[in-house]
Amino acid sequence: MTWIVGAALMLLAVLVQVTWAPSLSLFGAFPNLVLVAVVAITWSRGQRAGLFWACVGGLLLDLTAPGPLGPHALALLAGAYLTGFWVRNVDPAGLVQPVIATAVCTGVYSAVLVGADDLLNLPVPTPSVAVELAFAAAVYNSALVLPALLVSRRLRREAAA
Amino acid sequence: MSLERRTQARPTGLFLTLCAAMLLLAMVSQQPWAAGARSYAKGTLAPLEAAMMAASDRVGAFTAVFGDNARLRAENQSLQAQDAELQRQIAELQAAGQDNIALRQALEFQRAYGHASMTAQVVGRGPDGFSLTVEIDRGTADGVRPGMVVASGAGLVGRVREAAPHAAIVQTLADPQSRVSAFLAQSGVEGTVMGGAGNLQMQINPRFGAVPSNGDWVMTSGVGGGYPRGLVIGKVASVSYNAASTVAGATVSWVNDPAGLTVVLVITDFTGS
Repeated sequence: MTWIVGAALMLLAVLVQVTWAPSLSLFGAFPNLVLVAVVAITWSRGQRAGLFWACVGGLLLDLTAPGPLGPHALALLAGAYLTGFWVRNVDPAGLVQPVIATAVCTGVYSAVLVGADDLLNLPVPTPSVAVELAFAAAVYNSALVLPALLVSRRLRREAAA
Repeated sequence: MSLERRTQARPTGLFLTLCAAMLLLAMVSQQPWAAGARSYAKGTLAPLEAAMMAASDRVGAFTAVFGDNARLRAENQSLQAQDAELQRQIAELQAAGQDNIALRQALEFQRAYGHASMTAQVVGRGPDGFSLTVEIDRGTADGVRPGMVVASGAGLVGRVREAAPHAAIVQTLADPQSRVSAFLAQSGVEGTVMGGAGNLQMQINPRFGAVPSNGDWVMTSGVGGGYPRGLVIGKVASVSYNAASTVAGATVSWVNDPAGLTVVLVITDFTGS
C-alpha cells in the first residue's frame, strides 16, 4: 500500500513538475519537485528508499525530456546517494542540514545531468549558464525541502501506525 | 564494525549498479534503432500531462475570477450576490477567450507567412531549466517530424526535437542548448540567438557601419537551413560592447513566453536541416 501511495505521489510530483512548476520560473530556473521529494525521502527513510525512488522519478522525468532515457535518473541517483551519505553524518532531526544538503544536491544533480549529456554527445549549455541555472534552482529547492520533509515524515509515521 | 561497514557498503554497491544500469539505458536508448521504442515510451505520459495542464488552466482561471471578485467587492457590495455558477461560467469563458485569441493569431500567422501549418496544444513543459522544452499533443500520426519548425501567432517558438505517435517534444528558443541564425531587421546585422537563463542572448557578427539599437526586430536569417528566413524572434532589449568598443552581443526580448504558451503552430512544409 505504501508503495502504491509512493508511486502515485512520485507520478504527481513529475506531472506537477512538467506542467505547473515552469510557470514559477525565476531567473530561468524553477523548482525541481522530484529532486526535493527524493532528498526528503532519503532523509527520512534512508538511502535505499532514496535510491529506489530516484530511479523511478528520474525515469519518469526522462519520459518528459528530450534525449535518451537515463540522464535524469542518473542525476537523481547521485543526489540520493549524497543525501544518504550526508544524513548519516549529521543529526537528522535538525532543520538546517536538509536545506544545505538540498542546495548541494541540486548542484551535484545539475553537474551530473550536464556531464551525462556531454558524455552522450548531446548539446550542453555554456558553463556560465549552467552555473546560473543551478544556483537559482538550488535556492528554490532549498526553500521547498522542509515542507517536503514534514510530509515524508508524516507519511512514514502513518505507515508505521 | 565489520557489520557496520557491510551495511554501509551495500547502498554504495546498489548505487553503482543503478548508475551503470542508467548509463547503459541511456546509451542503448540513444541508438537510432531504439528511437521508435523511445518515442513510443515518451508518448505514454502525454495524456496525463494534458489532463494536468487542463486542470492547471482551470485553477488559474478560477483564481483570476476570485481575485477580480475580491477587488470588485471592495468597490461595490452588490457583487457579493454573484452566483457561483456564474463565476464558473466566467472562468470557462475566460479560458475559452484566451484559446480563441491564440487560434486567431495562429490563423493570421498562416496568412502572413504562407507556410502550411497545423495547430497543436501544449500539454507539458520540460522538467528543469536545462531543457526548456514544451510537449505538444501532435505526433508522427499527424505528420509531425523531428526538425519541423514551431511558431505561435507572435513568432518563432522552436523546433521539434522528438516525435512520438501522438505527442512531440519541441525545443524552445529559451532552451540553453538552442541556437538560431538571425539578423536585425533595421540594421541588417547578423548573428546567432542563443537560449539561456532569463532573456535570449544574441552573439553579433560585427559589420563595419552597422550599429544595432534597442527595439530593433530580430528575425530568423535562414542561414544554416535550420529555420526559414523571416520569422520574428523578438526585439533587442539592450546592446553590449566589448573592450574594443565594438558590438559584442545583445539581449533579446522574446516575443513568446514559454510559460504562457497554450496553442502553437507546427510548420509542416519546412523541415530544418
